[in-house]
Amino acid sequence: MKQHLKTSAVYIRRAPFQAMAAISVLAVTFFVSTLIAVLAYSSDQVIRYFETRPQIIAFMKEDAQDSAIKSLQSRLLADERVKSVNYVTKEDALSIYKDATSDNPLLGELVSPSIFPASLEFSVVNLEFAEGVIDEIKGEDIVDSVTFTASLGGESSLGDVIQRLKTISLYIRVGGLVAVAVLAFTSFLVLMVVIGMRITTRRSEIDSLSLIGATPWFIRAPILFEAIGYSVMGVIFGWLMAAVLVMYTTPSILSYFGEIPVLPSDSLMFFALLAVILAGEMFVGLMIAVVGSSISVSRSLGKKRK
Amino acid sequence: MLEFKNVTKKFGDIEALGDISFVVDEGEFVFITGPSGAGKTTLLKLLIRELTPTEGSIVFDGKNIEELKNRDIPKLRQSIGSVFQDYKLLPERTVSENVAVALAVKGLPHDEWDARIEQVLKLVGLTERAELFPQQLSGGEQQRAALARALVVNPKVVFADEPTGNLDWETAAAMAELLEKINSEGKTIIVATHDRDVVDKLGKRVVELRGGKLHRDTGAKKEAPKKVKVKSKSKKKNETASKD
Repeated sequence: MKQHLKTSAVYIRRAPFQAMAAISVLAVTFFVSTLIAVLAYSSDQVIRYFETRPQIIAFMKEDAQDSAIKSLQSRLLADERVKSVNYVTKEDALSIYKDATSDNPLLGELVSPSIFPASLEFSVVNLEFAEGVIDEIKGEDIVDSVTFTASLGGESSLGDVIQRLKTISLYIRVGGLVAVAVLAFTSFLVLMVVIGMRITTRRSEIDSLSLIGATPWFIRAPILFEAIGYSVMGVIFGWLMAAVLVMYTTPSILSYFGEIPVLPSDSLMFFALLAVILAGEMFVGLMIAVVGSSISVSRSLGKKRK
Repeated sequence: MLEFKNVTKKFGDIEALGDISFVVDEGEFVFITGPSGAGKTTLLKLLIRELTPTEGSIVFDGKNIEELKNRDIPKLRQSIGSVFQDYKLLPERTVSENVAVALAVKGLPHDEWDARIEQVLKLVGLTERAELFPQQLSGGEQQRAALARALVVNPKVVFADEPTGNLDWETAAAMAELLEKINSEGKTIIVATHDRDVVDKLGKRVVELRGGKLHRDTGAKKEAPKKVKVKSKSKKKNETASKD
């Protein structure tokens, strides 16, 4: 093993430009993969955010009794489609209003709790349930009106909102997967070509080794390790570049998205996310190296003279 | 030890070897002679199963070479020390590294390497050339380096293909003497050559090929061999200890 690793290191050193070409293409692939993985994570976080924040506000009629509202709250809590029901009384609503207008205290002083309706703010476990829940709650006697807050881009109906979120998420995933697949395939081909060139330049050495009794593994191992070397370096460089970029832009991204946690604000979680991406990319990189070099070696060495 | 039984090898319509039969016993020294194109190199290629016979069989060490599975071919090649006409040294490795490759291929323990390499380079007279690359050596030295690589794994038989083909008379004579010396230590030697001077000088058994056919076999001229093998360091140490 040590001998084969040493041999492959020598091969890499002897043709630095081929090595750089292979490593560069792999690095670009994994750079883009890392960014797309982060983007996929962020889109997931956006969807989760919209799913978990109070998406629906049911405003109560002015004469709605406190006990009736609490009874409705209990029924909603018991509903499997609903989570985190929050009862906002008239006083709470006034307080929220005052907080929101704290830069102009006069506005807060001009109003009384009676003009703010009590409300129940809640979210559903899945946005698909929202339409059904809203229809049901609209039929309650104490409910005056129901508002859906998770609106993006001014969609006119609830179905549009759900569809829009799903479409964005799908575009990120499918688009990302296609981009990564094309890049991965290109890397795979480049690696095969580089390994094929290596075998061609070492053809006489390989023949000599075979004639003095080298086993197929003895001949193939340095080539395989060379391909693995390219992949590992490509993964590390690509991931590192993307990680630095993400780390550099994270404060701006977090500030731009405000309360939507598109990236983990906790350092440990942030590095855990990057570590998981690195592990996944290392696995894919190794697969590209093993499969690519195996095919290349089989094509080049498989033809036997009889 | 080695038997060619009615071996025929055809390349398309061209018959390189036709119905060749002969036996080589352990410890023998055999010259395979004949003009260029007689089929000498084809014999070596058949022996290491680089080629397979069209007809007939080759039995080496009790095994029919043609029946060997692909995974057993490396073992066969490791047990035959081949010295190729074009040497087949690895150009980017030094003489000692070229010899070490054979040890690595055979999978011998690394701690035995230095002693074996030193011993075999001493035998072929290349101790002082150990750290040179093949292109820094003369033809005769490259030939001896190839011989060292073949010998270092202690093969059952050494097959040298035209070992004096590219050498001047003096160097060729030295190479022939070296092969005789190795044979006198018990190793079976098969030399394919068209060099009559070398054949006449050593006076060993001659199997002559002409046009791919067996033209003449002078039969075995066996001498009692001295059994000497390339020893490992550990074995040497044990021997020293027992002497003490």
